[in-house]
Amino acid sequence: MIEQNVVLFLCNWGPHAAFQTLQDRQAPIPEEIRMVRVPCSGRVTRALILKCFEMGADGVLIAGCEPGSCRYGTGNSAALNRIDRMRRLLHIVGIGAERLRWGGFLPDDASGMMAFLENFCQELRRMGKTPIVPPPPAADRPVTEAAVSGLLKRHDIYACQDCGKCSSACPLTLTGKPFSPRGLASQLMTGAIEAPEVLNDLWGCITCGLCDDRCPSGVHFPEFIRDLRALHRSGNGPAPEAHGGFFQSLMRTMASPALRPNRWGNLDSNLRVDPESPVLFFGGCAPYFDTYFTRFPEVHTEAILHDALRLLNFFDIHPRVLTEERCCGHDLLWSGDRENFVRLARLNAEMFHAAGIEEIITACPECYHTLAHHYAECGIALKCRVTHLFEFAEREIAKGAIGFKPLGRKATFQDPCRLSRLGKKADLPRKLIGRLTLKGFEEMTDRGASALCCGNCAWTGCDRYTKALQLKRLRQVKETGSDLLITACPKCQIHLRCAMEDPFHGNDLAMEMMDLTSLLVQTIQWES
Amino acid sequence: MNVMAAHAMHKEILFTGFGGQGIVLAGMIVGRAASLGDHRESTLTQSYGPEARGGACSAQVIIADRPIHYPYVRHPDILVCLSQGGYEKYIPMLKKDGMLLLDHDLVRPQGEWKGTTFTIPATRFAEELGRRMMANIVMVGFFTAVSQTVSVQAARDTVQALVPKGTEKMNLAAFDKGHEYGLAVLKGRRKKESGEKDVA
Repeated sequence: MIEQNVVLFLCNWGPHAAFQTLQDRQAPIPEEIRMVRVPCSGRVTRALILKCFEMGADGVLIAGCEPGSCRYGTGNSAALNRIDRMRRLLHIVGIGAERLRWGGFLPDDASGMMAFLENFCQELRRMGKTPIVPPPPAADRPVTEAAVSGLLKRHDIYACQDCGKCSSACPLTLTGKPFSPRGLASQLMTGAIEAPEVLNDLWGCITCGLCDDRCPSGVHFPEFIRDLRALHRSGNGPAPEAHGGFFQSLMRTMASPALRPNRWGNLDSNLRVDPESPVLFFGGCAPYFDTYFTRFPEVHTEAILHDALRLLNFFDIHPRVLTEERCCGHDLLWSGDRENFVRLARLNAEMFHAAGIEEIITACPECYHTLAHHYAECGIALKCRVTHLFEFAEREIAKGAIGFKPLGRKATFQDPCRLSRLGKKADLPRKLIGRLTLKGFEEMTDRGASALCCGNCAWTGCDRYTKALQLKRLRQVKETGSDLLITACPKCQIHLRCAMEDPFHGNDLAMEMMDLTSLLVQTIQWES
Repeated sequence: MNVMAAHAMHKEILFTGFGGQGIVLAGMIVGRAASLGDHRESTLTQSYGPEARGGACSAQVIIADRPIHYPYVRHPDILVCLSQGGYEKYIPMLKKDGMLLLDHDLVRPQGEWKGTTFTIPATRFAEELGRRMMANIVMVGFFTAVSQTVSVQAARDTVQALVPKGTEKMNLAAFDKGHEYGLAVLKGRRKKESGEKDVA
């Protein structure tokens, strides 16, 4: 009986010829190997690799051409680069770097191929299966009119007066995208639950919540979208996920109870953490972002977490960090996978409670909003306080004797939607910015609760319209005449950095970005 | 002199400011907290002269572990100033190794005295908390934190007992503000001394 699953991605050129020779000779290829022939090993994306593990693979092999013999020139180096980063990520998430391996082969190297396969399978048998429990195949539950009208009732969508305040404010509509919140509402009310426009609007919404802010009838549109997505996903399969669904795969993987991630491996020795502390610092997904978005070397979101720890240390708080920390699940919930979100949330809650945590401090607005609100909404009651790092900092700084070294920069601020709009705390980061000694601070045209979104939420619906939205935001940044863009969410940095590299704009929109946490840490000092 | 006596406390404290700032009340709170709260000896004498009608007024408090035979303060160990006039009048009397507490928006220190000084924007804090006249209570909170001559519990209880009925909550908030600020200042100094002024 075959216990294990190994997926072998086989390049069409050298390795495939070698593999075929083995098949022709009827060589004893290990039974657990499932071969997938691809045009080039450089075309195997990280999303694809992770998807294999998510679906129950215990190992993934990628066979490319021997270095120097790539048919396309750069296929090998692209694959090697990607696999190197992917192995790092597999280590952090707790699957293990050694479960992914690359080999380079010439067409006549059948024996080398055989040794490669046997050797890997032998080692894998020793390692055993991965701790991942593949999700059961989604049951075929069609989206019924009754279910939709139940949602319409629960979110009071019938209160929509078709006034159009939502679409006149919606940043996506304003970029020219055929998208209308009220259009979606009226179509659903008339029963067109699977019209193409409905599906387009459902998955295109960036859930930034600006319509919610403007709606005179108080319709909570983002939450409605969130729940409607959950309804659709359970019926109609996966959503149009950005980055090939990499992040959704990552989060679903983390919903396996036996998985033990390896977080905080690269903490500076001068950062002080206390494994007994009842105060937990919850980092969030920054290390995964950094190993994934290597295209942007300026974006180093894990540094924000280390700076947050520095700030806590500055105030003599030595928090606990959990090596087996998982994702909070925000993006699963908002991209329609409520089942796995709840699974993940339960695991997190159990972990917090088993560790005796009394207070969770986090620097990520999404983690904060999810832990503080969404967990309870989904029936998972945390027995600990949830504090945003800015709340903690403001409370400590207000006690007095704290000053800030002057920073000769003129700055502006990108509001994170989960803190400023959904959390209604736009004043909090501004209070802190007001305490800094900047050369100048200038708000953008759209700011606070009316701020423009960084362009995407929950890794869904990235398209040319969201790109246009990001460019519009960057133009607003430039108009302030600032030389520093202060952010408060790692995703704002990633999305805006991506937009800054738009080839049509050269360096016109480039601007240095820094998280408010890092800015506080770099300039804070005791004064008395 | 036995060992106990060597460690016995004897602190002379002088509160000074304008008439109307609640200087006498501040002295009263500290003195009463020391006697009724901390079970020490204390005396309070206050100036009834022309200064109490608008000039630099003062409240003189002595806190000691043994009976106090002479209640006037000649050379204070701690001088608390809420006005420039009070500062200028009394600074020459402050002991060389004494401690000076100032409202740093109202008093600009000048002259020779260079000892331990603690400053707080007490009046500004009181304004932020809703009533400027609570500056004295903010200062009492600050005094409690940095001078460590009365216990926090005793000082807090005495504030509650002595402020006008109905204003206890506000005044306790003012006390806490001053106290917290005092602790933060002490912590800041400790950090600076140990070379942890900022995040290196």
